[in-house]
Amino acid sequence: MTTTENPSSATRADAPQRGAGNCASDHDEAAGRHRPEGADEAVSGPPAGGGLSAQFLPQSSAWEVPPVPSSADPGPQEDPADRGSGRARTWWGAVRGASWRRYAAAAAIAALLLCSGGLLYATQQLKDPAATDNRALTDTAATDQVTGEVSSALTRIFAYTPTDTQSTAQAARDVLAGSAASQYQKLFGQIRQQVTTQQLTLTTRVVRAGVVTLTAHRARLLVFLDQTAQRAGGTATSAAAQLSVTAEYRAGHWRITELKAR
Amino acid sequence: MSRFRTVRGARIAWPAGVAAAALLCGLTVWSVWSYVHTRGDDALRYGKARDSVLAAGQRDIARLNTVDPAHLDRDLDGWLATTTGPLHDQLRRTQSQDAATLKASGTATRGTVTDAAVTELDDRAGTAKVIATVQVRLTPNSGAAATTDRKRFEADLARTQGGWKLAALTAVPVGAS
Repeated sequence: MTTTENPSSATRADAPQRGAGNCASDHDEAAGRHRPEGADEAVSGPPAGGGLSAQFLPQSSAWEVPPVPSSADPGPQEDPADRGSGRARTWWGAVRGASWRRYAAAAAIAALLLCSGGLLYATQQLKDPAATDNRALTDTAATDQVTGEVSSALTRIFAYTPTDTQSTAQAARDVLAGSAASQYQKLFGQIRQQVTTQQLTLTTRVVRAGVVTLTAHRARLLVFLDQTAQRAGGTATSAAAQLSVTAEYRAGHWRITELKAR
Repeated sequence: MSRFRTVRGARIAWPAGVAAAALLCGLTVWSVWSYVHTRGDDALRYGKARDSVLAAGQRDIARLNTVDPAHLDRDLDGWLATTTGPLHDQLRRTQSQDAATLKASGTATRGTVTDAAVTELDDRAGTAKVIATVQVRLTPNSGAAATTDRKRFEADLARTQGGWKLAALTAVPVGAS
């Protein structure tokens, strides 16, 4: 490989030198005629001023000199690109030569922007803050915790025996807050006397419970209850009750703040 | 002169162009990532499924508690449209019988779901359970005053081509397990 390459590279290195020599002499002779034509072709509109100056200013010939050696052997068609690889006056040529690249870049930028915009829009459409903020069922541990705590709270506050209304009142203080607490106190105050005088017993069982909404600090639940009331010596009667419960998370526990019969 | 301007301009333009290109690429990569991430977000999909189950449950339970003797065919067809599986089969079997009974009683009912919650959801299997409290307003044909009835239901829903539909609807009686 190396043996075959060496001679070829040597011949190639020779060729441009000869070519450059030829080309330089060509340019020297034809500079006056050749240049302005090339400039007219390459330039349209504003750059015309540059073209004119290239025609008339004495520097034009001086500017022409540096690119000449590097212009080497390329044919006449490659002239504009050639001037681009040179410096200065050739700038407009470079602009023209590279214009397709500019269009391609602009197209690529537009495509990327459109693509990004479209994707971001689609992402926004997919998102559903209402669905993600509500952790009911999606966060099973939190859902189970609130269901369990609210269920046990309800069975404690809706249960009493003639001999023990104290623990019911205590449970109410533990698990109720806000309007649920005041509402409960009012009702329980009314029946507390009857419980002892009429020997009433109440037990409550949670039949179904579902979490409607759940956030870190607030939950809404729907609870189906069976309540069994019994007068001493009488028969027990059972009734269905349904409650919409609002609970708030305070100091590590869920406290019921609102109760609404359904 | 123009040469120096050009050279200086190019010196500034290059880093600026590279920075802009990098920013644009960054934006594109980020938008692709966020789309893929959101698309694959299981919690989001599950949450959306839960919300559609709840909406479908509320709508369909109310519908199955609503019938107007004056528009029996429309209402009974609506029952079939909102149900699937065993409940659908049952309603289809008893449709003519139901129509006769309802026509004879002449009582119009209007059900309103006062509260509802999803208690179970299997996103993959496409099954869910919903509990709901319903207020049913009964308007007798005789012209007597309307009465209101409260009921509590548990419903099974199944995902179908046409969205979530009721596969079972049962009242939860006192003493139910």
